[in-house]
Amino acid sequence: MHYKLTNLLEHIDALALNNPSSCYQDEAGQHSYNELYQKSNQLAAYLQTLNLQTKAPIMIYSDQSFMTVVTMLAAVKAGHAYIPVDVHSPNERVLQIEEIAQPAMILAIQELAFTVQTKVLSPTELQQATFYQATALDSTQSVQGDQNFYIIFTSGTTGVPKGVQISHNNLLSYVNWMLNDFDLPEHVSCLSQAPYSFDLSVMDLYPTLALGGQLKAIGQDITENFAQLFKVLSTLDLQEWVSTPSFVELCLLDKNFQQANYPNLCHFLFCGEELTNSTAKTLLQRFPEARIFNTYGPTEACVAVTAIEITPTIVANYSRLPIGFAKGDTNITAVDEHGTPSCAGELLISGPSVSKGYLNNSAKTQQVFFKQDEQQAYRTGDLGKISADGNIFYRGRTDFQVKLHGYRIELEDIDQNLVSLAPIDQAITVPRYDTNHKVTQLISYVVLNQPLTDPNTALKKLLAANVMDYMIPQRIEVRTSLPKTANGKIDRKTLMAEVNRHA
Amino acid sequence: MDTKETVLNILADLTGDTTIQNNLDESLFDSGLLDSMATVQLLLELQQQLDIDVPVSELERTEWDTPNKIITQVDHLRNA
Repeated sequence: MHYKLTNLLEHIDALALNNPSSCYQDEAGQHSYNELYQKSNQLAAYLQTLNLQTKAPIMIYSDQSFMTVVTMLAAVKAGHAYIPVDVHSPNERVLQIEEIAQPAMILAIQELAFTVQTKVLSPTELQQATFYQATALDSTQSVQGDQNFYIIFTSGTTGVPKGVQISHNNLLSYVNWMLNDFDLPEHVSCLSQAPYSFDLSVMDLYPTLALGGQLKAIGQDITENFAQLFKVLSTLDLQEWVSTPSFVELCLLDKNFQQANYPNLCHFLFCGEELTNSTAKTLLQRFPEARIFNTYGPTEACVAVTAIEITPTIVANYSRLPIGFAKGDTNITAVDEHGTPSCAGELLISGPSVSKGYLNNSAKTQQVFFKQDEQQAYRTGDLGKISADGNIFYRGRTDFQVKLHGYRIELEDIDQNLVSLAPIDQAITVPRYDTNHKVTQLISYVVLNQPLTDPNTALKKLLAANVMDYMIPQRIEVRTSLPKTANGKIDRKTLMAEVNRHA
Repeated sequence: MDTKETVLNILADLTGDTTIQNNLDESLFDSGLLDSMATVQLLLELQQQLDIDVPVSELERTEWDTPNKIITQVDHLRNA
């Protein structure tokens, strides 16, 4: 079957209306497609009565629940892009995003424990609004075409996050590719583990709903408690697995994570960071009936733009696995440091899934987005090698962006946030790599302006008020001075070499 | 190298906190020194350095949350 969806919301609505089968399983139990349809429409109709500023985005303070999905769909049905911000985010980050995005409203899946400027719909009010029936939804207002569907915030080099605007057309291009090129079964049962504020979650959410399938959610409280995690995982009867390689590496620590206990698990899809040869090899041994897909893509090009099935032959042939071939409607080229097309260099992506740019940030948008042959294009900062047949190999970064457990982090972002703490005068953050080129730790070196007892712990606590927990370095080491380059900047490369002497 | 020394070395490396040996009964999770991904690293290091298999599916955080508890658990697994 060849899919060519033209409107994602209409497609999901058509298969959801009066459909009693389950679309979502969370801690509260099963939720049917019909419930998704009714509640998202009723909440959307209610939102339309509030006279919110036309097309202004709505922030969703989100967790791993059916209610979050209802709320996301309701926002776009009402005509507003949504900004998912995870409930585990520090208050300061929520406030930063609020300031940049100027949302029309905040829909709180869980109680906000701090004061915001924007009008908030509390969890109780939100629940009530999903039963709203006084007026009907005006679906002519729903998000469509080039209008923003969601905005996901990522780490920015200046210490302030950037909001990547993904339109309905961007998402449609991505979803059609997922439905056509990955051989996913209809009514697929898929893991939903990545937080909705992380665009990897889009890989499980929309393709699964478009296939009439079922999402099996596990929240952070479960993933962090290993005993509970493995108990729950084996009961989910999964067919499709979407996660970062780091999360599956965690699962592979359990000997019982193998085909016999997951008989229907037939698809593994990875994105967000490098899939290592050894992880793929172990996984193929544990799950001989499953197919493994490695994918690659920046949030700016909507989740993923390349893919390849990792077969035993590929594992045997490449010690560093390829990230695969560009999706059909997308063009990926490499340029050398002079901007000349080359078979190796910085990867440029152009095509219908490339974002229009960063929300309310034209300076950053102009730096990295441009037009190429009438198509929207993005300069990734990723280095790659493109083989003659179009297979792409990832080779690192042109700058100081790293992936830690799938999360994208600008090292300068951590530096800026450290320097903004009162006791710190200077700070520099470096990644420590393992032998598979994966970042295992972030280490920050700081110069203090006052003595601190137990600075490592004290500074981590201070930092935690401002940045996501994955951005807190594992080690913060105090130095009396930091090495400098010839032009007086802190010398990150010298410290990187010092930390990675083994590599 | 004995268990205690190995565990403390791994923990010091993972957390960057060299004073861990002075706080053997303090929760590593409460103090923010360990998170779940760092725990995975810890288990991998224990596997490699001491050749023990930690039954991760039975791993209750409350039994692994201080340096002393980790040392006891690892000792138990090494002698199993």
